[in-house]
Amino acid sequence: MAILEASEIVKRFGPVTALSGAGLQVEPTTIHGLIGPNGSGKSTLLHVIAGRTLPDGGRVVLDGADITRAKPAQRARAGMSIKFQLARVYHEQTVADNLLLALQVRDGIPSLVLSRTRRRHQERVRRLLDDFGLTHVRDHPAGELAHGEQQWLEIAMAMATEPKLLLLDEPTGGMNRHERERTGELIRAAATTCAVVIVEHDLDFIRDLCDRITVLHQGTLVASGTPVEIERDERVAEVYLTRV
Amino acid sequence: MQRVLTPAWWLADGGRRVGAIALVAGIVIAGPLLDGAGESFWMMALTRALILGVLAVATNVAWGVTGIFTLGQAVFFGVGAYVVGLLATREDVVALESLAGAALGAGLLCGLVVGAFLFFGRRRVGMLYVGLVTLALSYALERLASVWGEIGAGNGITGIPLPTLLGTEIEPGISFFWVAVVTLLVVLGLAWAVMRSQFGMVMRAIRDDDERAEFLGYRRPIVQLVVFAATGGVGALAGGLYALEEGFVSPTFLGVSLSTQVLIYVLLGGRDSLVGPLVGVLLLEVGGQRVQEELPTEWPIIVGAVLLLVILFLPNGLTQLGRRRRRAAAPRPETAAEVSGGDPRGE
Ligand SMILES: Nc1ncnc2c1ncn2[C@@H]1O[C@H](COP(=O)(O)OP(=O)(O)OP(=O)(O)O)[C@@H](O)[C@H]1O
Ligand SMILES: [Mg+2]
Repeated sequence: MAILEASEIVKRFGPVTALSGAGLQVEPTTIHGLIGPNGSGKSTLLHVIAGRTLPDGGRVVLDGADITRAKPAQRARAGMSIKFQLARVYHEQTVADNLLLALQVRDGIPSLVLSRTRRRHQERVRRLLDDFGLTHVRDHPAGELAHGEQQWLEIAMAMATEPKLLLLDEPTGGMNRHERERTGELIRAAATTCAVVIVEHDLDFIRDLCDRITVLHQGTLVASGTPVEIERDERVAEVYLTRV
Repeated sequence: MQRVLTPAWWLADGGRRVGAIALVAGIVIAGPLLDGAGESFWMMALTRALILGVLAVATNVAWGVTGIFTLGQAVFFGVGAYVVGLLATREDVVALESLAGAALGAGLLCGLVVGAFLFFGRRRVGMLYVGLVTLALSYALERLASVWGEIGAGNGITGIPLPTLLGTEIEPGISFFWVAVVTLLVVLGLAWAVMRSQFGMVMRAIRDDDERAEFLGYRRPIVQLVVFAATGGVGALAGGLYALEEGFVSPTFLGVSLSTQVLIYVLLGGRDSLVGPLVGVLLLEVGGQRVQEELPTEWPIIVGAVLLLVILFLPNGLTQLGRRRRRAAAPRPETAAEVSGGDPRGE
């Protein structure tokens, strides 16, 4: 059974129709690429899935539960994590504290007030810092990090609670080649335990990384399949690949 | 505990720690010194300032730390004052324990009711929305109290006796100063503990980017409600003490003027700083006492001008003076992301 099923999603912003019947079906522990030209509705689809905006039509089902109108916090608690297109970490708090923030989200308010779970999460914080190569900056305010490091920190935060579904909007934006490769490895490691949806402009990166690819164009689904199928697909070539 | 004994701990954070401890110690010593010197006028001014300090510290936790832009913090103060005033004059409740408990409870209850209305049922809770609703409430309640005959209308409640503490009567003079100091120390201690706790991290996360916090899974409305109610309770406790200290309650205790005054204390001293609000209160209420008396009409203008200078040159308040500048101007990620993401053809 699919871990995520978004179907017939319609979303309008005033006169602009960002999504007109687009959909996305993601299988467990796969990496699913979401591609399409600028303004094709990729981020909007991700936001509808994550609950940042409510759709005007369609359904979003996470692991069998209809979450179309659920609040973002409910979705997060149901196992969904998102990394936004523009990295959004807490600049004034330290890198380690940003991770702790992500980890302690299910702890009750009394134990947070008494700081009772800080120690319990320490080991996991240490491992995440290590995995993402952020140990040397653990006590720096996150605002001091280089851009790529901020992206990693946000991915680490999104993965901290071991979600079922990880949504990544342009995780390699602003990264150099080496950083991209490292990000690819991190995403692959994440996908051993959860499904990943990744929006990217770098087609080589997507092709190497993804098990399946969905192509959007002007808010509708053009094609969905394996990287090989997508490369052969004529409609995709028409709207998208011809522009390469 | 061992770290506390090293010089490094004391000097960390650019001496702010030492400054804060010196300030609190200075306050504690100042009371008996002033009393001994026969300066009961100044001792009472200090006592009043400390009680307002309790309100300011609570307001800072709500606004400075959690980002709840409350323009009506006097509502809690006034409610606490009226509850204490009415209980003391009509029901002959004299025990400080009971009066303080009643004020605290009334404030908590008000916070829960107003907070539920403010924070639940909306997807986004803007600064302006919270500010306007609380401001309107403060204004409306002041008006209401000044026409409501049952609670004394414009005259408020007068003739509130000094309470008893653990069965013994509190004498006029230095005794009430100690009540104020102990209350302030307890509130400061609680604020300190909460601000550095894991919950403090969540409060700041909601202040700095509430949407991000929600996507991590935090239930923003609940966190905001808890903070609003708790700080409301403390604000009401301050109001109750103020009523006992002054011996009267007036509708202005609920009003917009006090509400904005509290924000000025916080802004002046420094948001998200433990003792900052206290610095603001002491400067204006004790330091400015004489000026306030000599130049009553010019006083608001002076306060406004000082505030303007602080906002322009020290946006984090006076306590920022001792703070190390650690927050480097990090490049905003927008540009980089947009540039690299701007080209659909990739490389
Ligand atoms: N909040 C909004 N208000 C108005 N229009 C919006 C809003 N968000 C998106 N749009 C419009 O919806 C369409 C789809 O935008 P979206 O950001 O989803 O595209 P995208 O595929 O993510 O593009 P990019 O590759 O540039 O990130 C665009 O035409 C955009 O201008
Ligand atoms: Mg986008």
